[in-house]
Amino acid sequence: MSALKSILIALILAITTSFHAQTADEILNNYFENTGGKDNWEKLKGIEMIGVMKMQGMEIPFEQVSTKDGKQVVTIELQGNKMVWSAFDGETSWQRNQMTMEAEKSDNEATENLKKQSKDFPDPFLNYKDKGYSVELIGKETVDGTEAFKIKLTKDPITINGESQPNISHYYFDTENFVPIIIESEINDGPMKGQIAKSSISDYQEVNGVYFPFTITNQFQTLSFKDIKLDPEVDTAIFAFPEKTAEEKKE
Amino acid sequence: MNKKIIFGALSILFSMSMHSQEIVLKGKELFGNLEARQIGPALMSGRIIDLENHPTNSRILYVGTAGGGVWKSSNGGASFAPIFDKHAQSIGVVAVDPSDPDNTIWVGTGEIWTRNSVSIGDGLYKSTDGGANWKKMGFEKSERISSIEINPKNSNEIYVAVLGALWGDSEERGIYKTIDGGKTWNKILYTNEKTGASDLIMDPTNPNILYASMWEFRRTAWGFNSGGANSALYKSTDAGKTWNKIHNGFPKGDLGRFAIAVAPSNPKIVYAVVESKEDKGLYRSDDAGASWKLLNSDFELVVRPFYFSRVVVDPKNPDVLIKGGFLGSISRDGGKTFKALTPLTGPLKLHPDIHDVVFDINNSDRLYVGTDGGVYRSWDSAGTFDMVDNLPLSQFYHISVDNDEPYNIYGGLQDNGSWWGPSSSPGGIEARDWNPVGVGDGFRVLRHPTKRIIYSEMQGAQNVWRYDMDKNYTKNIQPLPIKGEADLRFNWNAPMAISNHQPDRFYMGSQFLHVSEDMGDNWKKISPDLTTNDPAKQDKESGGISTDKSGAETHTTIFTIAESPLDEKIIWVGTDDGNVQITQDGGKTWTNTVENIQGLPKNTWVYHIEASSHKKGTAYAVFDGHASGDMNTYVYKTSDFGKTWTSIVTDDIVGFARNIQEDYVNEDLLFLGTEFGLFITINGGKNWSRFTNNMPAAAVHFIDLQKRTNDLVMGTHGRGAIIIDDISPLRQINQEVLAKEVHFFETKPAIIKEESGFGGGSTELQFVGDNPNTAAKIIYYLKKRHTFGKMTLSIQDQEGNEVVSLTPGKAKGINIVDWNFRKKAPKVAAGKTFTFGGFTSPRVSEGTYKVVLKKGKKEFTSSIIVKNDPESLITSQERIAQQNAAKQLFDGMEDLAYLVYKIDQNIKKAENLSKNDPASSKISTSAIDELTKLKETLVVTTGDNYVNEAEPQLREKLSEIYAEVTNQFEKPSFSQLENIDVLQKQIDEAKAAFEKINAKQVAKLNKYLEKTNGKPTEILDKAKFLSK
Repeated sequence: MSALKSILIALILAITTSFHAQTADEILNNYFENTGGKDNWEKLKGIEMIGVMKMQGMEIPFEQVSTKDGKQVVTIELQGNKMVWSAFDGETSWQRNQMTMEAEKSDNEATENLKKQSKDFPDPFLNYKDKGYSVELIGKETVDGTEAFKIKLTKDPITINGESQPNISHYYFDTENFVPIIIESEINDGPMKGQIAKSSISDYQEVNGVYFPFTITNQFQTLSFKDIKLDPEVDTAIFAFPEKTAEEKKE
Repeated sequence: MNKKIIFGALSILFSMSMHSQEIVLKGKELFGNLEARQIGPALMSGRIIDLENHPTNSRILYVGTAGGGVWKSSNGGASFAPIFDKHAQSIGVVAVDPSDPDNTIWVGTGEIWTRNSVSIGDGLYKSTDGGANWKKMGFEKSERISSIEINPKNSNEIYVAVLGALWGDSEERGIYKTIDGGKTWNKILYTNEKTGASDLIMDPTNPNILYASMWEFRRTAWGFNSGGANSALYKSTDAGKTWNKIHNGFPKGDLGRFAIAVAPSNPKIVYAVVESKEDKGLYRSDDAGASWKLLNSDFELVVRPFYFSRVVVDPKNPDVLIKGGFLGSISRDGGKTFKALTPLTGPLKLHPDIHDVVFDINNSDRLYVGTDGGVYRSWDSAGTFDMVDNLPLSQFYHISVDNDEPYNIYGGLQDNGSWWGPSSSPGGIEARDWNPVGVGDGFRVLRHPTKRIIYSEMQGAQNVWRYDMDKNYTKNIQPLPIKGEADLRFNWNAPMAISNHQPDRFYMGSQFLHVSEDMGDNWKKISPDLTTNDPAKQDKESGGISTDKSGAETHTTIFTIAESPLDEKIIWVGTDDGNVQITQDGGKTWTNTVENIQGLPKNTWVYHIEASSHKKGTAYAVFDGHASGDMNTYVYKTSDFGKTWTSIVTDDIVGFARNIQEDYVNEDLLFLGTEFGLFITINGGKNWSRFTNNMPAAAVHFIDLQKRTNDLVMGTHGRGAIIIDDISPLRQINQEVLAKEVHFFETKPAIIKEESGFGGGSTELQFVGDNPNTAAKIIYYLKKRHTFGKMTLSIQDQEGNEVVSLTPGKAKGINIVDWNFRKKAPKVAAGKTFTFGGFTSPRVSEGTYKVVLKKGKKEFTSSIIVKNDPESLITSQERIAQQNAAKQLFDGMEDLAYLVYKIDQNIKKAENLSKNDPASSKISTSAIDELTKLKETLVVTTGDNYVNEAEPQLREKLSEIYAEVTNQFEKPSFSQLENIDVLQKQIDEAKAAFEKINAKQVAKLNKYLEKTNGKPTEILDKAKFLSK
């Protein structure tokens, strides 16, 4: 009899708790709680991610460093050559020309857009209000076969082809673990403009008390991390645009 | 008493736990990453209902379509992307909030140009983020919304015009108003349950002034009526509180549909096109509707008001106006005279049937036109037009496939003829891959099972074509009435069928079933009139005020024919007036079995009958009552030749159904097409799941299943052909599978296709349909999505050596991972630039490979069989020769890479030393010089990847032939073998040269280092280097 009662109560509890409405902030708090705690996230000064990029049957080793003050650099290794592929020192964004392998500055729009994104570190949702971002819980939806909370993130507008455009993306947080499993964002330029690019994120693992996804896949490529280092020591010169010396200019 | 309660509770618990044994997965949980592929075509596009521009940003444009949802352009109409895929795809109106135009957009669903084939909407939607998310704002039963007007000074004050139900009475019609942004609505103008609001316009300078047109109209399956005593034009000057009829100058008597427009640059000028028996035409008012004057009654202005009732005035010039119509027409003198937008003869400038026009907000020379065949742009005020090539809105009535390799897809389109095109094409499925096979409206298109012959037709079987694909020769083969017998009644979408047993046998249905044994040359009737032959439903004078005799309303006809795949004597016939007839003796005797169906309203249209390929007595019948106002889903199954029927409909299904497809292997696997998408059952109809992976909620009119590939091919009415490649995993799902943590599905052996060629010449603004993936597929089911911890998927040879590591799918449900038959690419020698051949990975040879999936500490294994192309022309010896040569070159690439690595390590060491220890200069410099000299012959050390390319060195030459031999499907040629020999010799010489330097200069260097307590150069052994 009492066993039956407790089963019934458990059943009722199970039903009522699942009806408990969540707000976007509760979901985000849960997310940070479940991935190491807000304090640990806030303490981060830099993140180095080492892994391979898989695309079109190729595996390209890469390393990415991003810092709290908005600097970032991507280093890749192609056919035994290790090189900085793209970087941003907070002011100047640049990447390598694929024909000459020389560094060239990004166009001013791309640089400005990147500057605005600097505050994303280490996670756009961390203290999002201070960043001037807004979030909205759209509802529950099934993605990747999994029930998820769909949260809309609106960041500062970006400029594309001379026009300011809203910068909206949607994150799907697994209702079981409260971590993002899918990110959807609009393609801003080119022939696929207006279409939605979907990234699937998984293989969350702990790194010094903080959980990071070790795999990020979209329709074009997969990033698979072997190692994530927190607060790495980096020579800041690596972020800067390599100005040519007078001698090099003569060449 | 107490005991009873406990017992009751126990039995509830018991039944709950019994119930929970059954694992039921719905929708995305079941389908995981199984995705649909949208292949268009877009070259003829489809019907457009409404165009809407942004009030201040000329780059942004919205298109509301008849059956393909809402599309948005943010580059001035160059390209479009769909933004409304999850909702009803039939659109009546799109409106942008003038106070918040970047974000707030309203969509009224349900097309308003009410031809016979229109779909339905399901209410009003609002987005507050430019179309990223949508919220339903009521009007679920409205069926069609014609206008949305928003007060430019107050976003919360909105008026909605509901045209309402087309096939029945409805009180959800008229003008509605909200003052709280759509939370609550008040009906502020209503006539009766037969009369809807067909248009609503707000004075652009005064939001309290509104013009509303009311239209009495009704469609049945056999007729259409436009007009009546209640059609009227109203005006309000007090924000909708009171309305007055403004007919001063209009004809008396019954009226039909109005087209109305207010000139934005002078709101005193109002245009109205009036449908009437007398004095119909364009009226103009220069006093804001107080009085009207008839200006013009040209054909283009008055043609088919139910289909064309849009007038648009140039925003800058009140005397320039465009009226939608068959060809559309433009006036530049305030409506006195008109010129057609496109000539009727010669090359058309536009697809005919013009439904809407918008002018660019800044430059009236630029305008956009929505037609039955997509959107057109003009830059010179309708002088010339250019079609938008990336709107895949084609509206299939029917679809079928053949058995070619790759198989082809056949189907007919609303007002866009009949077509066939490939399911796969080099570079993607492009516009040029599609071939026309009929004109007018296209419906059913069937390929002869053994010959290069296609059957196609146009509306009402006015033509039934037999097309010889090789001779490019067409013959009209329609069945003709026989002397002394009744006239034939063919449906607008007349049924045809090919026998499963006699390739040349061809069936067509009028009210009789006709059969031909010689591909349509000669015909025989094998049935009496199988319809109700109800004269009340044989209306010859359709249209109402404007007679509209197109044959589209011909009723009491046969609509579907199904010969049993198991017995040619068994033929099912379904009629549009609700008969389900069967013969079991090849047409000698017929039985109407519809009386045996419970719960089905009388005379409900039999849309499709599917004769089972598993049992002779089994069939499925799909009924569609929408043309009598009944939007319910009706799907029945019989297992005894129609003596008894059982409904297999559940609440999971949304929308009335039109088509069902039975799987050829698992009889419990069924695919159902409804007005709102695709539904799948894996248990014979106990539960249904909506398929939404890259599948919009478009109306699925017909489904076919390709037997060889197991591809499900859908003909949608608004989003073209949509394919789900290989549905075979769905056949294998059962309770045992669903209970497993990981389950690998059985797959057919993967074939290495021996193909290489060119394709893809479309511009970036032309739609290109994706090809199916020809890679090997590893397909598995995951009980739960993988989110935490490592998960890897490795292909291994039989000894367990890793061939390649793949990116595993991690979704709950079905995951499909592609493998392109390639191993890892070689390690390439480091140079200044890239060598493109070095990115080539070798193919595996045929055989069985292990599939190892690791999830955390758990390991799950399966295997995959890889086979050579059965079409291949090369022998196994030749194949071995190719593989050996490729292997030798692969090893050569890696030998060279290791050699260059050793050189580089030594140079680095020497350079460091010379920098830090000037005394070493002689030793280090001589090592550097010798090593660099050797290296320069091995890899390029200067130049770039483009026009400043350096002279190729050994690496470049080697990688070029390596890639060539690796990719080819032939034995190496003699010149290739000779070239390999030459390069191999160079590698060997280089190795020897290095050893010489190593023994001399490098040894000296190391000795010096030892002496000065430095460390000798660190060199990894080869295996370590290669695995680095």
